[in-house]
Amino acid sequence: MSASQPLLEIKGLNAGYGEIEVLHGIDLQMFEGEFVCIIGANTAGKSTILRAISRLVPHVTGTLRFAGNDLSSRASHDIPTLGIAHVPEGRHVFSDMMVEENLMLGAFTARHAKDLSSRMEGIFELFPRLRERRGQLAGTLSGGEQQMVAVGRALMLQPKLLLLDEPSHGLAPKVVEEMHDAFTKIHSRGTSILLVEQNVGLALDVATRGYVLESGRIALQGTSAELNENPAVRAAYLGI
Amino acid sequence: MKRWIAILAVIAIAAVLPLLLSPTGYWIRVLTFTLLFAAMAQVWNIIGGLANQTSLGHAAFFGIGAYTSTILVLKFGISPWIGMFAGGFLGGIAALIIAVPTMRLQGHYFALATLAFGEVMRVIANVWTSLTGGPVGLSVPFVPPSIAAYSFKQLLPHAYIALIALIIVTVIFEAIRRSAMGYRLRAIKENPAAAEVIGIDTTKVKLQTAVISGVLMAMLGTLYAQVAVFFDPDTVFSAASISIRVALIAILGGVGTAIGPILGALFIIPVEELMNDLFSSGAAGLSQLIFGVILIAVILWRPRGFITVFDSLMARFSNKARS
Repeated sequence: MSASQPLLEIKGLNAGYGEIEVLHGIDLQMFEGEFVCIIGANTAGKSTILRAISRLVPHVTGTLRFAGNDLSSRASHDIPTLGIAHVPEGRHVFSDMMVEENLMLGAFTARHAKDLSSRMEGIFELFPRLRERRGQLAGTLSGGEQQMVAVGRALMLQPKLLLLDEPSHGLAPKVVEEMHDAFTKIHSRGTSILLVEQNVGLALDVATRGYVLESGRIALQGTSAELNENPAVRAAYLGI
Repeated sequence: MKRWIAILAVIAIAAVLPLLLSPTGYWIRVLTFTLLFAAMAQVWNIIGGLANQTSLGHAAFFGIGAYTSTILVLKFGISPWIGMFAGGFLGGIAALIIAVPTMRLQGHYFALATLAFGEVMRVIANVWTSLTGGPVGLSVPFVPPSIAAYSFKQLLPHAYIALIALIIVTVIFEAIRRSAMGYRLRAIKENPAAAEVIGIDTTKVKLQTAVISGVLMAMLGTLYAQVAVFFDPDTVFSAASISIRVALIAILGGVGTAIGPILGALFIIPVEELMNDLFSSGAAGLSQLIFGVILIAVILWRPRGFITVFDSLMARFSNKARS
């Protein structure tokens, strides 16, 4: 893809549930190989942007394009086939299935691919703990390990774009750091990442660019360095 | 593996049992219906157990099957064997029609919608007198006994046909459970949101299971018609004695497992008959009351079904074998 054409292009996106509109006229662009974060307070609508991309929000207007495809005409179960993998908020692993089964299901839309075992090997390199627990039921894992399963399951697709929804939520600080190291590695392997994160400090640490969302509108955008310097961001989110 | 040995043992017993019973007697009839209801509960288990959608309207498909094959014999002299497939086809269409609008419903709402559908079919069959004979019901015409005409002097062949049907639907159930489709259904059952994000078309998979279940249930309706010889709309489209009973058998036995519906039917049908036998001469409704009390006791004792008793017995057995 040429550098001038964005991988993900969102224009004038309005989205909501029933009568309630959550997002008002969102414009967001991402190029291939970027690591972008969306930050903002709870209920600002961060997750709704990811859910709109995955077609999980019932009412959406505006432009949603990915790698030349119009997403608004697609069904949610079609989205992974385009190369978008979504790690939903709250992990959502298949608790009564083994870790391995969870991972294999992630490659569900690519189940005829011949390299599934090497894909799994790549995930075990990224999260060695999953290799140890490959035969264990996912529901019996710790929160951090379940998050690894959820991320691993998404990576089995070898997505062009990885959507991460609050991956550090409810995890111990040490695990959060591990997780963010993994994201940096995934990014360096060539996957574009769109990260939604409440932990603004960490998000700006790993992402190269960010959007600040306030009450369903983009309030600010810039490189992570710019946002880190921004007095408004510092006051509102970093508590400095 | 252990389970399959147990299943083979059950099949062997079931294959010998009819020969031990009086061929004109009452208990071979009970056995035939036990096997038939086990098969029906197994078919229900495909949608109720694997797709986790509690249907309370399976009488709709059952009745469609019974009526289709019987009407084809009566009006065109077509063998019930062929009528069974015609009924299966119509049962599949009916399942599709009911499933498209209701599959998105979950839990109680799906159960209520299917219950209503079964009742609608019962009312239609009662009113459409020119086709179904209305409330008077239909008699399967007597034809000279032959396998091709699906007509027998005794109940023994019917018992074996019911046994074969039970084996076939159990194999189908187990094949689906272990297939890629079974995995998709498990994923949907455990976490519908996650299933959808990894690219599983949840609606489509559920529709497929509904249609498979509807086709098979209608085919079993033909088997019932041939054994019962006479039926009316209130019997084959009955919410209580078909729809709820098959769900009850599967749930009591152990929903989502291949053995559950068989265990459930082996318990419920004979006990129900026994209660009728013992208490029907007493006060009206006494047998049902006692049967109901037994059901409640069993559900309290084993809320997850007879399968748990079975599993613990198997575990004890294999421990002993090892020591």
